[in-house]
Amino acid sequence: MGQLYEEHYVWRLPVRVYHWINAIVMTSLFLTGLYIATPILSSPIGEASWYRSMAWVRYIHFGSAFLFLANFLFRLYWAINGGDPYGKFVGFKPWSPIWWGQPFKDQMASYLFIKREEPNYCGHNPVAALSYFLFVFCGSFFMVITGLAMYGENNPGGFNDTLFGWVMPIFGSSAQLHHIHHLVAWIFPVFFILHLYAVLRHDIVDRSSVTSSMVTGYKHNVEECPELAE
Amino acid sequence: MAEQKTFMDVFEARGVKRRDFMKFCSLMSVYLGVSASMVPRIVKAMETKPRIPVIWLHGLECTCCSESFIRSSHPIVADIVLNMISLDYDETLSAAAGHQLEEVRKRIMKEYKGQYILAVEGNVPTKDNGVYCMVGGDSFENVLRETAKDAYAVISWGSCASFGCVQNAKPNPTGATPIHKIIKDKPIINVPGCPPIAEVMTGVITHVLTFGEIPELDRLGRPKSFYGTKIHDKCYRRPFFDAGMFVEDFDSDAAKKGWCLYKMGCKGPTTYNACSKIGWNEGTSFPIASGHPCIGCSEPNFWDNGPFYSRLANVDFLGTDSNADTIGKVAVGAAAVGAAAHAVGTALKKSSVNENREEG
Repeated sequence: MGQLYEEHYVWRLPVRVYHWINAIVMTSLFLTGLYIATPILSSPIGEASWYRSMAWVRYIHFGSAFLFLANFLFRLYWAINGGDPYGKFVGFKPWSPIWWGQPFKDQMASYLFIKREEPNYCGHNPVAALSYFLFVFCGSFFMVITGLAMYGENNPGGFNDTLFGWVMPIFGSSAQLHHIHHLVAWIFPVFFILHLYAVLRHDIVDRSSVTSSMVTGYKHNVEECPELAE
Repeated sequence: MAEQKTFMDVFEARGVKRRDFMKFCSLMSVYLGVSASMVPRIVKAMETKPRIPVIWLHGLECTCCSESFIRSSHPIVADIVLNMISLDYDETLSAAAGHQLEEVRKRIMKEYKGQYILAVEGNVPTKDNGVYCMVGGDSFENVLRETAKDAYAVISWGSCASFGCVQNAKPNPTGATPIHKIIKDKPIINVPGCPPIAEVMTGVITHVLTFGEIPELDRLGRPKSFYGTKIHDKCYRRPFFDAGMFVEDFDSDAAKKGWCLYKMGCKGPTTYNACSKIGWNEGTSFPIASGHPCIGCSEPNFWDNGPFYSRLANVDFLGTDSNADTIGKVAVGAAAVGAAAHAVGTALKKSSVNENREEG
């Protein structure tokens, strides 16, 4: 708890642009995906060749998917080559027991109301970083790979089929691949709720302007940046 | 037994006209997806090469594959098929029975060592030493291993042999196992379908005879020329799909007009087979053309991807039968409730902190 006392430029423009493209495209993918599974609009009247509604929804799904993939790859590029201290997941080392140590435990204890302290971070706190890794990185990776495998089905023997077609037998059949893709898609609205709640809560509890930081790039009220100390 | 006869000899003996024979050869070139210039090669192979003996074994199955097979669609082919593949041993179709028939099998295995094709209909129950399928006093697994040992290639005929079908649907009480998981050292051609299209058998044999090798297979071991594309991609109702014109009820005008059956649970978009290309019953029809959604019978685990009349499969979730959307909604609801509860906790904590501060 403190006063507005310092401002930190945390999220550079590429990170912010990535974030919002990702948000829009994920929403588009989720909604069009649900529509493809259950087309709820009533059937038009007339000759079938006059209409393309289902084809358009699928087209938007595929188009969004490629935008999503490009955005995802750009973010990875930015992490590796951007020279952005907050953009390269620098403190995130889930393979090391040290990472799971005190900072993670403190943050978890705070979230679970076991400890009163609310730790403060410039970038992501360890629990948030873990959630982004699981939902955004692993989730996106899974959806991209399974999605490309299904997209490859449209052109057997083509580029996508050759590169990603091997995914299908892992899940048994095309139908099972579709089902798992559909099921895993639901992690994104779950993540959306948790993410939105956590951001708003931190803004209220720490008053660090974390919500607007994804628009302006600036966070406030941060006294030290422990994750950058190392 | 016509041991050194060519296919042509047999056709002539059966009174098949040259014209019909040529029709058959061009039809095969179409099914196999080879160019028209290959037709003479097929003709030559049929005329000069000795026909390939086939041993046909029946495991755990319902004989629908045999039924389909003996009703091979095109009338010329229908007559030819049985002669063509020189079906020397088939427990269902052979006139001989018992020890006599088993002797025939043993003799073919010896005389045509490494040359005969083994067609297997049905799969292998592996539980309890294979007692759930005994053939000639021995377990089917032993018969299969013994017969496959000297075969040129194995054709897993039907979904049972290829992937397991209904026998190995959950909970698979007999331990039914598809052929490719038992026989590892032979080329295996999976011809799934419940039943499969008879022409695939003729096509595979023609290919082996003409080119001296088994046809090109896809990742699931199926001949690419028959299983290369989804039913959906060659479905004549596809324009209705793209337009978003769906049948919502079998008893409706849309069903009568022949709109897309996607919302009735059609598995065409995830099923690889040649139904929408070749058709069934002399090319008359196939399920979708008859107004019924595809049930995906040639796909692995299709019994467990049910129900047939719904797009979303049932998933066992906390002891209930749910689908992906139910699970997703429950998860989203749980996240929302969790967030709300946490917000209440945060508010309580904040107010207690403030109280402490005021008191302090």
